[in-house]
Amino acid sequence: MNNRIKEFRARYNLTQEDLAKKVNVRRETIVFLEKNKYNPSLKLAHDIARVFESKIEEIFLFD
Amino acid sequence: MKRSIILFVLAALVLIATGYWFFSSSTKFSLMDIASFGVIFLVLVFAVVLGFKRLGSAKRGEPAEDELSKKVMQKTAALSYYISIYLWLFIMYIQDKVNLETHSIIGIGILGMAVIFTVSWLVIHFIGIKNE
Repeated sequence: MNNRIKEFRARYNLTQEDLAKKVNVRRETIVFLEKNKYNPSLKLAHDIARVFESKIEEIFLFD
Repeated sequence: MKRSIILFVLAALVLIATGYWFFSSSTKFSLMDIASFGVIFLVLVFAVVLGFKRLGSAKRGEPAEDELSKKVMQKTAALSYYISIYLWLFIMYIQDKVNLETHSIIGIGILGMAVIFTVSWLVIHFIGIKNE
């Protein structure tokens, strides 16, 4: 599973730290997500999608 | 924050106990003792790094623990337990072949488990968790 978190973050002008605070995780988790080293829980994926006002499948790309 | 402080207190206690052992001992240290100090020091460094990571997160207003850190810990615990079984099996196999006292063998086993936990954490932290 790939994701477009970095792209959306740039679009919304958010730092990793800002996004981490908004979805209540540590910055390291955002780093892992962007490097595709971690697949988030459904709740975290939902929270991230809500921050970016998008659907989950627009941010997380299932192969 | 609370857990970070507990981690620091535990690390300090281990450091004090090890320091007491080191400075109060009148006998000359063997290679095994020096190796034990090295392993204890490594595990302490690991605990302090974990503590600082948690404190850093708390200072930035982030949770000290989140779903990733919990999953890393769970996977580390499972993996290190699995590997530790083989360590104890190996220790049982060699105990008759080496001239060591029972308390030394148990000490080696415990320190070995601590090293396995630390290495497992580093490996899992490095490769990440894909859940696939």
